[in-house]
Amino acid sequence: MSKILGIDLGTTNSAMAVMEGGEPKVLENAEGNRTTPSIVAISKSGERLVGLLAKRQSVVNPKNTIFSVKRLIGRKFSDPYVLEDKQWLSYEIKESEHGGVSIVMGDRSYTPEEISAMVLQKLKADAEAKLGETIEEAVITVPAYFDDSQRQATKNAGEIAGFKVRRIVNEPTAAALAYGLNKKKDEKIVVYDFGGGTYDISILEVSDGTVEVKATGGDTHLGGDDFDKRIIEYLVSEYKKNEGIDLSKDSLALQRLKEAAERAKHELSTTQESEINLPYITSDASGPKHFLMKLTRSKLESLVEDLIERSIKLVKEAVTAQSPKGAGLELSAINEVVLVGGQTRMPAIQEAVKKLFGKEPHKGINPDEVVAVGAAVQAGILQGDVKDILLLDVTPLTLSIETLGSVATPMIEKNTTIPTSRTQVFSTAADNQTSVEIHVGQGERSMMVDNKTLARFILDGIPPSARGVPQVEVIFDIDANGILNVSAKDKASGKSQSVKIEASTSLSKEEIEKLKQEAAKFASEDAKKKEFVEARNQAESLVYLAEKSLRESGEKVEAGVKESVQKNIDALKAVKDGDDLPAIQSATQELSKELQKIGEAMYNKKEEPKKEPNEPQPGSNQSV
Amino acid sequence: MEEKDKNNASDITEESELQKLERERDEYLEGWKRAKADFINYKHDESRRVEEMIAFSNKALIYELITVLDSFHIAITSHNNAKETKGLSIILGQLEESLKRFGLEKITVTPGVPFDPNTQEAIQEVVSDKPAGTVDEEVSRGYALHNKVIRPARVQVSKGQAS
Repeated sequence: MSKILGIDLGTTNSAMAVMEGGEPKVLENAEGNRTTPSIVAISKSGERLVGLLAKRQSVVNPKNTIFSVKRLIGRKFSDPYVLEDKQWLSYEIKESEHGGVSIVMGDRSYTPEEISAMVLQKLKADAEAKLGETIEEAVITVPAYFDDSQRQATKNAGEIAGFKVRRIVNEPTAAALAYGLNKKKDEKIVVYDFGGGTYDISILEVSDGTVEVKATGGDTHLGGDDFDKRIIEYLVSEYKKNEGIDLSKDSLALQRLKEAAERAKHELSTTQESEINLPYITSDASGPKHFLMKLTRSKLESLVEDLIERSIKLVKEAVTAQSPKGAGLELSAINEVVLVGGQTRMPAIQEAVKKLFGKEPHKGINPDEVVAVGAAVQAGILQGDVKDILLLDVTPLTLSIETLGSVATPMIEKNTTIPTSRTQVFSTAADNQTSVEIHVGQGERSMMVDNKTLARFILDGIPPSARGVPQVEVIFDIDANGILNVSAKDKASGKSQSVKIEASTSLSKEEIEKLKQEAAKFASEDAKKKEFVEARNQAESLVYLAEKSLRESGEKVEAGVKESVQKNIDALKAVKDGDDLPAIQSATQELSKELQKIGEAMYNKKEEPKKEPNEPQPGSNQSV
Repeated sequence: MEEKDKNNASDITEESELQKLERERDEYLEGWKRAKADFINYKHDESRRVEEMIAFSNKALIYELITVLDSFHIAITSHNNAKETKGLSIILGQLEESLKRFGLEKITVTPGVPFDPNTQEAIQEVVSDKPAGTVDEEVSRGYALHNKVIRPARVQVSKGQAS
């Protein structure tokens, strides 16, 4: 069973997503972009171009470059919207024999469905190339205000493209799905969709797993492009004021200005000021001219204030006006607000929406992709991917085991999705240690004493050996119900012991939050303590190793080296249990350096040629 | 999830407890296999993603620097005096060489050759002695990063001689 593709077939841009591993994933197209311009063209050489390639030649081939076909799909030619759009479309449209719209491209006519199918075909091909599998089915989104004819036409477009269209979903519903709002009960949701060329409002009611569109509104000719126009007009007028040159007459300068304006607009969503720097923008009798201007966020907001106000007025109308104009609700009755469309990244828009409804809008998902993400979620539901029973939990706090020096060694980090299992091998701290205590803790602190103890048990029967030799395998396993099983097994003897802990995820949200905040508060103190313990452990190990090396080196190492090493051992022993961390670290380093001399001496000894006492040496006096 | 719509009627079928359990078992097994397959595929993809990330980690920085390259080009052509702009040309060469080491290559544009939307973007159409539909002039350079176009060359396209 292949994946179902979720498609946001937009007026200006389209996007696609699939469910992967239970999560929606936006797919890149062949050009490596996450959105695809909804543009089709026949080039002057007769080649069909779709997407970015069609866009790149639109300026020189306007008659045969078809864009915004979503404005025409499923409508009659006599529809007032069609007649209005006909005024500004650069390509020719005429009435088809059935009263629909016929689009002239190249030497023939196409229906809007056929044009949209070309965009969908490209998305299909790119998705198949990306996923390495055939895609046969799709979920396609449409505006909530689309009538039956427009929905059917969109479905036909999908079928022409080679899809079996499993569902036509409303765009605001898809956005609500993306945020998981379909699980809400008896809630009213506003979807505020401010894209590049259109502004759509939808009022939804969610109950018992169903979503009903109560009202729609908006302005099909208001979008982010209007914001860009305002900025360009301002920059051109300021430059004319200061330099006396009208840049709008210079198409190349205007092109650079347009890009710079868009970049500045994006930047001002995260900064208070943006510099527009365009050297050699034009020239006059005095020589080259440059463009250098600062644009502040507050200036930008003043330039588009009326557009934002208009959008707020329209959404207020859609919510409060009586049916059929609006949903007939109070603003306070709205439970959730969802932001869709790139322009909603603007802080002034987010603030205006928040102020109107008195609540923080949902905006965590990329607003350019949220509809495609929602379409993928719907696809997943149809495919059986998304079920409540498959909703996975996470372990809220780190689960750890106590190791030498009372350090809490993490086994399962906080926010790990469960069920899961982690295994680590530990050893003994002392020679001939025949048992280990497994102390299981929960919490974010570095020292076990500061965390919550979940369980303690002993594994004994470990064969006596030098420290660090035994291998004790410890497994932490949490099942989907949050039950933790901890087991310890000695690999040599095969002996094992285990414990089951029921309450590893039963802390309340407040308790978890409190523990996390405590950990943050004591983070640097805990880090110091851990550093101390690690330094002491290292010192202990080094002393053990040094003493062992001295014992085993025997005659191979000179007395002088042995003495020096012993001196450093004594120096480290004197400080390792104290509180002076720099002293411990320095003594450890010194001993480590001295210890290397033992190794060097032993290697040198090994390489010296063996001298037999009676073997005649060349040139020596020999006795018989 | 259902949208309240007259077109969505749900079918109700009777099934026995055994059939229900069998159906659920098959669903769960299918879901488990799918999740496992997704994970395996994700791991395969991961190494490719890491490689891509390494190759394109500088993309945003390089993309910003292309604007600086543009300014250098405009400055040099504006002065129209090779002697005066020699220093600028050398600095530009330095910058281009440095970026080349990170995979940035200039897209070659030849006037008189048919316009190619794969690597070029048409800014405007102009009257020209070059054949219609071919490149009249390159307005700003295009660049590819690791053989992938990150900024198409901006060109003026010829519409042929004025009639």
